[in-house]
Amino acid sequence: MSGKKILIIDDDPHLLMGLTPRLVASSYNVVTATDAISAVSVARKEVPDLIILDLGLPGGDGFLVLERIRNLAGLAATPVIVLSARNPVDNRKRSLDAGAVNFFQKPPDIHEFLSAIRQALGETIALSTFLKT
Amino acid sequence: MTLEARVEGDGVSEAIPEPAHSMIEVVELSPGLRAELLDLEAWGEILTTYGRTMGVAVALTDAQGRLLGEPHNVQPVWRLIHDATLGSWSGCPFCITSHLPCTAVKEALRSGGVVMAHDQAGLTHVAVPLRLSKQHLGAIIAGQVFDRYPEPLPLRRVAKEFHVAPQQLWDLARKQRPVGSDRLRASGDLLRALGHAFLQQRYGTILETRLAETNGRFRLLVEGVRDHALFTMDPVGRVTSWNRGAEHLLGYAEAEIVGQSFSCIFTPEDIQNRLPESQLHHAMQAGQAEDEGWRVSANRNQFWAAVNITALLGDAGEIRGFAIIMQDVTERRRIAALLEETRLERGRLQEEFLSHVSHELRTPLTAIYFFVTNLFDGVLGDLTPQQHETLGLAIDNVKQLKDMVSDLLDITRVETHKLTVEPHYASPVKLIAEALSTCGTNAVLKHINLRSDIASSLPFIWADPARVRQILINLIDNGIKFTPEGGTVTVASRPFPENHGFLCLSVSDTGYGIRQEDREIVFDRLTQLKSGAETSRGGLGLGLFISKELVSRHGGRIWVESRVGHGSTFYFTLPVFSLAKLCAPVLTTANLEPGCVTLIAVDVVAVAGADQTELLPEMRKVLERCIHPAQDVLLPAMSDSEPVNSFFIVACTDSNGFSVIASRISKELKDFDRTSRLRPAISSTTLLVAPGQSRKEQIDEVTARIERLIQAHLLNKERLK
Repeated sequence: MSGKKILIIDDDPHLLMGLTPRLVASSYNVVTATDAISAVSVARKEVPDLIILDLGLPGGDGFLVLERIRNLAGLAATPVIVLSARNPVDNRKRSLDAGAVNFFQKPPDIHEFLSAIRQALGETIALSTFLKT
Repeated sequence: MTLEARVEGDGVSEAIPEPAHSMIEVVELSPGLRAELLDLEAWGEILTTYGRTMGVAVALTDAQGRLLGEPHNVQPVWRLIHDATLGSWSGCPFCITSHLPCTAVKEALRSGGVVMAHDQAGLTHVAVPLRLSKQHLGAIIAGQVFDRYPEPLPLRRVAKEFHVAPQQLWDLARKQRPVGSDRLRASGDLLRALGHAFLQQRYGTILETRLAETNGRFRLLVEGVRDHALFTMDPVGRVTSWNRGAEHLLGYAEAEIVGQSFSCIFTPEDIQNRLPESQLHHAMQAGQAEDEGWRVSANRNQFWAAVNITALLGDAGEIRGFAIIMQDVTERRRIAALLEETRLERGRLQEEFLSHVSHELRTPLTAIYFFVTNLFDGVLGDLTPQQHETLGLAIDNVKQLKDMVSDLLDITRVETHKLTVEPHYASPVKLIAEALSTCGTNAVLKHINLRSDIASSLPFIWADPARVRQILINLIDNGIKFTPEGGTVTVASRPFPENHGFLCLSVSDTGYGIRQEDREIVFDRLTQLKSGAETSRGGLGLGLFISKELVSRHGGRIWVESRVGHGSTFYFTLPVFSLAKLCAPVLTTANLEPGCVTLIAVDVVAVAGADQTELLPEMRKVLERCIHPAQDVLLPAMSDSEPVNSFFIVACTDSNGFSVIASRISKELKDFDRTSRLRPAISSTTLLVAPGQSRKEQIDEVTARIERLIQAHLLNKERLK
């Protein structure tokens, strides 16, 4: 139904193997990158509609990737959802301040996660997210 | 033959008042003090002199009339009889009669006056009471004299009774010069005055001696204390005494520091901050002051001192000076700091380690979770019902693992004081419903009835919703875990009768119950009880410990009541949302002085379906900038059901002040809102603060009115929709 393109940046191949079929099943096109350096070039080349970003990446921190992507001409407004094993107490705010639209700690509840993706893509108006802040 | 002593009370003596007391207040006399007051050596000279001058025998007796020591100036007739009895004399020492006891001494002590007594031989004596402030000490007796010329007949009877030669007795009697009753009575009065004066003087001397001894002993004690500085000061802080310990600790000799201000032992900064004066002031106000801080010795060494200052007050409560006890606790402090640092360092290392472990565990856990949910949701193809059920269990286990990993981090945050709660305006009913829905699957699987029993119209609470859910889920899951199949777990909520500022929530089960001795430790870290339930899958045993921490971070408390075999109920309390508490910082006397408070409502109106929810937190930040934090409060979201698009500000200002705030809000929001197409609608109500009430009454009334206005505003908005 959607056909929108999602870029997953994560260095764990098993996570990519787990998340990709789920997103494909929801009719998204999925592209992946597994390190900070290739992430930026893949993003520039593929111009995804949404990016799922891990913070601990080989070759550079996820925040660095986020900053670079924000400065790319065609990607400045692309929604980024951070999905990290890091502690949300410090990292949620830091991610949002850096321009991410949402933060999930691993492992996320899959249904909440998918709903956040839909919302970030403008596919639904989810009022519930705000209630939790 | 009736021979009896005649005792006459003496009206004249009674009329003479007891000599006025000196200024010395007489305390209850101890036996030791009594003996010292009647010390024979001290009385010897006065009694001898008196006896010789008056020509009578004189002696001291105790309060029962028994002779103390020997009589002075013994008269011949009495001596003859006395010698004839070979010392077997008993009864009144001055009466020659063996039949009836002489009661003169007792009479005298009772009446306080001089009492005269006559014996069968015609000898007369007076008893003079010795009393000190109504306490009976003893008496002086004086006499052994005839009060008229002796009569032969009674003397002959006496001679016969005591086996002495009648002629010898008669000769002696005739030689004894009689002393008339009047004269004897008068000399008794004189003796009474003398005796009393002497007693008073002696009492004073004894007290002085004792005081000097006590002072001496105290001084020795004070001097002997070496590891504490003990010193005294006058009311303005000049040293008046200084013990060896003070010399040792502070390096000043007594001679050089007495008369100097004690501020010389403070650091220059403390002197500049007037700490010496403020300490004395504090001690004067409270009677006593304690302090720990740096002090400086004569050779400029600084040490950390524990100090206790006591104000010394006079009888009228006036300040006489100060006594100071000071100890060098530098080493103790250093060790305490070292221990605390070690503890924190250990906590940091532990947190670092657990944080790392948690991070590393989460990565494979996430992969497993995605794989299993993909299978479970049929993303990778259809499943048989049995496969589906198995995968459901796998997901539950993954979630349990995930909770444990979260608990691990919470626990280190407890220890490094990083576990935080962010209170909100929250509906307990809604939080309970959410927790019940989360735990529902688990309850169904275990065939446990999950119920709620909630009082109608519960107040809102001021608590962190995520944390309250965490506590409730933990308690409910525990209840399910420890209740046999078919049992019931009930979540209830009631106002807390012991403290109306709190709401009480409870989770009861019909499980195994907790033994009395375990109820104490059930909230401890890593406690897992063996209670007949399956304990192999009990988790880490951190849930109740973390719940307890979370409840206490909210200012509430948690406890358990239980009956073994019947079940347990866990109770916890959370603060009720109070507008008054939130507004308290700005509703000060100074702010209420102008007599009005304005409630400002900012409603955000979205133009053409713009999504406002994302922007509301930003708007809150903008509004924060528009108010004066010392005078105004931006209230938290006052509704927890709808997207919160109404903001309320309580401002201590009138309608003019409101216009200033309103124009500031419009401008700031306009700058903020170029693209979002949100429009603020600002309205206000100014409340007049009723004069003549107490501040508390004013605040209560103002906040109650504000609360009603807010509810009405929200209701009205609801209707407009």
